[in-house]
Amino acid sequence: MISLLKSTRGLQRGMLVAGLILVSVFLILAVFAPWLAPYGFNETRVDGVPFGTQQPPSAEHWWGTTVGGQDVLSRVIYGARTAVAVIVLAVSFSLVIGVPLGLLSGFLSGPVDRALVLVMDALYAFPSLLLAIVVAIVVGGGSSGVVGGVLAAAIALTVVFIPQYFRVVRNATLAVKVEPYVDAARVVGTRTPRILFRHILANVRQSVPVIATLNASEAILTLAALGFLGFGIEPSSAAEWGYDLNKAMSDATNGIWWTGVFPGMAIVLMVMGVTLVGESLNDVLNPLLKARGGDTTTSDEEEISAEYAAAVAEAGLDSEVAEEAAAVDEDVRRVATLSLTDLAVTFRTGAAPVHAVKGVSFDVAPGEVVAVVGESGSGKSVTSRAVMGLLPATAVVSGSALLRAGSGGDSREMIGMSERKLRTVRGDQVSMIFQEPGTALDPVYTVGWQLVEMIRTHRDISKKEARARAVELLDLVGLPDPERRVDYYPHQLSGGQKQRVMIAMAIALEPDVIIADEPTTALDVTVQAAIIELLLDLRDRLGTAIVLITHNMGVVADVADRAVVMYRGEIVEQAPVDRLFAAPRHPYTRRLLDAVPHLGQGVGAPPVAEDAPAVLTMQGVTVEFAGRLGQPSFRAVDDVDLVVRRGEVLGLVGESGSGKSTLGRVAVGLQKATEGAVLIGDVDITSQSDRRLRSMRGRFGFVFQDPAASLNPHLTISECVAEPLKVQSDLSASDQRAKVAALLDRVQLPSSYAGRYPHELSGGQRQRVSLARALALDPDLLIADEPTSALDVSVQAKVLDLFSELQRDLQFACLFISHDLAVVDALANRVAVMRHGRIVEEGTRQEVLHAPREEYTRQLIAAVPVPDPAEQRRRRAARGALLTDVE
Amino acid sequence: MATTELLTGSEQPDAPRARRRSGGLSPLTRYLLVRLALVIPMVWILVTFVFFLMRVIGDPISAAQGGRLTPEQIDERKAAAGLDAPLIQQYWDYLTGILHGDFGTAMTDGRAISDVLIVNGAATLELAFWALLVAFSLGVPLGRLAARHRDTWPDATLRVFSILVYAAPVFFVGLLLKLAFVPLGLPVAGRASTSVELALQDVDPQTHIMIVDAILWGDPAYVWDVLKHAILPAIALGLLTGGIFLRLVRVNLIDTLRTDHVTATRARGIPERRVVKKHAYRNALVPVVTVMGLQVALLLGGAVLTETTFEWQGLGYTLADYLVKRDFIAVQGIVTVIAIIVAVASLLIDVIVAFVDPRVRF
Repeated sequence: MISLLKSTRGLQRGMLVAGLILVSVFLILAVFAPWLAPYGFNETRVDGVPFGTQQPPSAEHWWGTTVGGQDVLSRVIYGARTAVAVIVLAVSFSLVIGVPLGLLSGFLSGPVDRALVLVMDALYAFPSLLLAIVVAIVVGGGSSGVVGGVLAAAIALTVVFIPQYFRVVRNATLAVKVEPYVDAARVVGTRTPRILFRHILANVRQSVPVIATLNASEAILTLAALGFLGFGIEPSSAAEWGYDLNKAMSDATNGIWWTGVFPGMAIVLMVMGVTLVGESLNDVLNPLLKARGGDTTTSDEEEISAEYAAAVAEAGLDSEVAEEAAAVDEDVRRVATLSLTDLAVTFRTGAAPVHAVKGVSFDVAPGEVVAVVGESGSGKSVTSRAVMGLLPATAVVSGSALLRAGSGGDSREMIGMSERKLRTVRGDQVSMIFQEPGTALDPVYTVGWQLVEMIRTHRDISKKEARARAVELLDLVGLPDPERRVDYYPHQLSGGQKQRVMIAMAIALEPDVIIADEPTTALDVTVQAAIIELLLDLRDRLGTAIVLITHNMGVVADVADRAVVMYRGEIVEQAPVDRLFAAPRHPYTRRLLDAVPHLGQGVGAPPVAEDAPAVLTMQGVTVEFAGRLGQPSFRAVDDVDLVVRRGEVLGLVGESGSGKSTLGRVAVGLQKATEGAVLIGDVDITSQSDRRLRSMRGRFGFVFQDPAASLNPHLTISECVAEPLKVQSDLSASDQRAKVAALLDRVQLPSSYAGRYPHELSGGQRQRVSLARALALDPDLLIADEPTSALDVSVQAKVLDLFSELQRDLQFACLFISHDLAVVDALANRVAVMRHGRIVEEGTRQEVLHAPREEYTRQLIAAVPVPDPAEQRRRRAARGALLTDVE
Repeated sequence: MATTELLTGSEQPDAPRARRRSGGLSPLTRYLLVRLALVIPMVWILVTFVFFLMRVIGDPISAAQGGRLTPEQIDERKAAAGLDAPLIQQYWDYLTGILHGDFGTAMTDGRAISDVLIVNGAATLELAFWALLVAFSLGVPLGRLAARHRDTWPDATLRVFSILVYAAPVFFVGLLLKLAFVPLGLPVAGRASTSVELALQDVDPQTHIMIVDAILWGDPAYVWDVLKHAILPAIALGLLTGGIFLRLVRVNLIDTLRTDHVTATRARGIPERRVVKKHAYRNALVPVVTVMGLQVALLLGGAVLTETTFEWQGLGYTLADYLVKRDFIAVQGIVTVIAIIVAVASLLIDVIVAFVDPRVRF
C-alpha cells in the first residue's frame, strides 16, 4: 500500500488518499457496528418508549427516525456491515470461478473457448441488474436469515460478475500467450501447468486487483438496487441502504429528507471511495501507461560512452572536428533554406530535466540532401520535431531555426513562432514524412480527402481543382491508377503505396524543405529502394532541400550530399558523405561505420563439409493457415526442402510475409506443418506426440527478435536462464546455479546481473540473456529469428561478434533468419532466399550473395544500399541497367 | 508484390484481399452477415438461460397461487397452461412461440406480453430517448473538454464529477431531484397528468409514445404536460449514462490525440480546431460507439430503477411489478423481450460502427 502511494503524484495521489480514507471509514463502521451504532438496526423503542416515526434529527436521534420508527444513523452504520459482507463474498466467489475459467479458456482456445465466450458474452450483454434479480429470486426464495440473505445476494452478484472476470482474464491470457517469452518456455518443453502459472498467471495477475476493486463498487450499487426493488436481503434480518431508500421515496414528496439522504449518501461515499482506489490502481498498474522496459538503453550507452570518452581523449579531436564542421557550413550558409543554430531541447520531467538536444547547428541548401544520422536516443527525431513545433508541452526549445522562404531571401524564425503562424509554414514551406506510413494517415478518410484538405488549408482553390491536383500528385509519386486510388482509404493501400501518398502530401505545395524522419525504415528493401528513387527524382525536379533522418548508413551513402552525425544530443561530426565514409574524423563516427555490416564484404565462414551430419532436415514442408470465414486458407510456407548441418549457419533471408519466421517456428515444433517432414537428427518431429517431443526439446534453442518481449518480466535473469535446466535436466539446485553462472559468463554478462529483472537490462544485454537461455542445454540446433534487428547498429555488432564466437566454439547448427542481407553475409555458411513461402534460391554464401542465379535474388541484392558512397553510385548505375533489363 | 513495385512503381493489392474480392460478397455484407450469425446464438443462449432459470423456481402456477388454491385446482390450471407436459416439450413450445412473436400471457392480469412490449416498451423507448439526449449533450462536450485540458483543473473537476455520477444510484438521484423539485411544482411521478394520460391512452393511442401522441393530438398544453413529466426521469437516467459517455470520450480522445496521424495532420498545417474536430474526434468515435452499444444493457437496467422511482410505466416498471406478484410467465416473457432488444441493439451498433469506420466497410 505504501509503495502504491509512493508511485503516485499530485492529483492522482490526492484521489488515492481520499479513496483509501473513505474505504477505511466504511470498513471500521462495518467491523465495529454494534459498538458504534447508538441503537440496534431494527430497534424501535428503548425501555418501552417508542422512538416515534419520521422524527426529524434530534439529540437522541442525530439523523432522525424512519417511517418504521427506527434510528436512521444506526441503520446506516449497520448497512455498511451488510454491504461489506456481501461485497467480500461476491468478489471472492467471482474471482475463484471467473479467473481460472478465463485462464483456461484463453489458453486452450478451440471449441471449448468459443462456447464459453458465447455464453459469457450473452450474459455480459444482458442487463446485469435484471440478471441479479432473477438469480436472487431463484437462490434466495424462502431464506430469511442473515447468512442466507447475504449469501443469496452475494451469489446473485457473482453470476453477474463472472463474465467480467472471464473476459478480462481471457483477453489478458490471449495477449500474454503469444508473447515470445511464452514461446521461449514452450521451445524448451515447459509443461502446460507451469506455463499457465509461472508465465501467464504472473503477467495476467496485475489486471485482477483493478477489476476487483471496480467490481466492488458495482457490487454496492447492484446490492442497493436489489434492496430498492425489494429483492434484496429480508429487511428484518439486516439493515440495507437500498431498502431504506425505497421506504424513503414517498417521504421525499412530503419534504422529509433525512430518511433518504443519509443512506443515499452512504452509498455514494462508499462507491466513490472504492472507485477512487480502483481508478488509481488502474493508472498505476496499467501496463499501457508504464514505459516498457525496452526503452532504456542506459547500460549499452554507458558501455559505449566509456569507450567513446576514451577514444576522444586519445585522439583529442573533439574541438578540431567541430571547427571543421563549422567551416563546411560557411559555404552553405549563404544560400541555406533552413539554418539551425544552437538548437537545444529540454524535457521537463518529474525528476531531473532531460537534455535531449544540446546546441545543434547545421544548414540545408536548396536541392541538397542532408542526412542526420545517429542511433536511438541521439536526438535526431527530436530536432526535426522541434523545428516543426510538434513537441509536447513539456519540451523547452531554445536556439534558432531560420527558414528562408523562396528566393526573396527574407528569413523567418521558426523557434518560438506562434501556433497560428507555424500553421501557415507547416506543410506549405516545410513538410514532413513520417516513419510509419501505416499510422501516419488518418484511417477514416480517403487519401484524396486528406490531400484536398491539406491543399485547401493553404491555397484558396475550389474542391474540384484541389481534387484534380490530388490526382496529379498521386500520379507524380507513381501511384498506379490515381483516378481510382484517390478514393481509397489508407488501409486499402500497401505500405509502400501509403508512403507514396505521404510523399505526395509532402510535396503537394512544393515546400522549400522536406523533413523525412526514417521514411523507409518500416519498408522492405525493394520498396525502400523505390521510395528513395522517388525522393531523389523529386528533389531533382523541384529543387527541394531534404533533411533525411535515418539510422541506416547504407541509405545515407546512397542519397545524401552531406551527413550530420549525432550522438547523445550533440553533433559530433558533419561532412560531405564521400569524405565522411572515406575518412571519418571523429572516433564515434569511425566506430559507427565499423559496426555497420557491409553486404559484399562478407567475412562469413566457408561452407562446411558436405558429409557433416545433418541436424535439421525439412522435406516438402508446407504450412497453411485457415482463412477467416468465407476466405480460402493462406499458404505461408509452400513445399520447402532444407538441410542444416552440424557446425553450419544457414542464413534464411526474405522480405516481410515471405514465410521465413513461420519456417523457423516449424523447425522447433512451435508451429505444426500441414504437410511434410521435419527431421531433427533422424527423428521426424511432426509425427511425435507432445510428450515425446518434450524430451527432445533439449536439442533446440530459440532466440527471438524482440529482446524486450522474449524474457518474462516477472522472472530474474538467472531464473530465465535456469528454466530450460529445471524443465529438462535433473541437475541439483547448486549445479543449476553454477551452470547459469557459467552461461552468463559465456555471453559476457557480469555475474552480478543474475538477480536483476529484464527491465533493468539494456536491449543488447537482454539479447545476451536470450542467447544464454537458448544455449543452456547445449543444443544441436539454434534458431535465431531476427535476433539483432531491434538493436542499434553498434550493439548489433557486439551481439553478432559474440554469436559467431559461440557458434565457432560450440559448433551447433543454426538457422539464422534475417531480412538484412549484410548481416547474413557476415555470418552464414550457406544462404537460402525465401519468397511467397517458397525457397527461390539456395547455395553457399558466395554463390547466392555474390553470384546469384535467380532474378529475384539479384533484385534483392541490388536494392540493398551499401555504406560506401562510391560503391553505391556504381551499384546504382548497374541497378538501373538491371531494372531496365527487366522492364 | 514488393519487387513488382521496384520494377514498375506499382504494388498489387495483397494476395488475401485479392482472393476476398473473388469471394463474391463485399466485405461489408460479409461483416454484417457474421454479426447477424453471432446474434442468433446469443439470443438463443439468453432465452434458454431465462427459461431454465425460471423453471428452477418451480412451476409458475404454484409459485403465484401456492396456498391460495387446492392442489387439484393447481393441477387443472397447469394442464390448461401446458405446464404438465415434459420440460423439453415446454421448452420447444416456448421457442416456437417466440419465433411466431408469441411471448406468452401474464397469469395475473391476462395481458399478452407482446401487448406489454408495444405499450410499455414504447414508454421505455421514450424514456431512453430523453435520457440519451441528456447523456449525449452532457457527456460528449464535457468529455472533449476534459480531454483537451488533460490534467488541468477542468479535467480534474470533470473526473470527480464523472465518478460522483457513477457512484450515485439512479434512485438516490431521483430522490434528491424529488426533494428539490417538488416544492417547485414539477411533477415527480407518471408519464403525464391523469387527465392527459386518460385522454391520450384510452381515447386515441396511436404510437404509445406519449410525446408523439400528444403532438398528434395537437394540444400544446398536453405536449407541455408530457414534457414536464419527462424532465426529472430523463435527468436521473441521463446523468448516469452521461457520466459514462464523458469518461469514454475523454479516454479515447486522449488516445487519439496522441496518435501518429494526428501529429502528421498537424505537421501539414491543418488548424488545431479542425485537427480535433475532423481527425481526432472521428477516430475516437469508433471505440466510443462500440462501448456505447454495451451501455444499452446498462440503460435498460437503469430504466428499471428510474421507472420504479418515477412510476414511469415502462417495461422495467412492469417487470418489477410482475416480479413482486411472482407472475413468472410474464417475467419470462418480458426478460426474453429484453434479451432480444439487447441483441438487436448490439447489431445496430455494429452497423453504425461500419459507417463510422471505413476499415470495416471495405
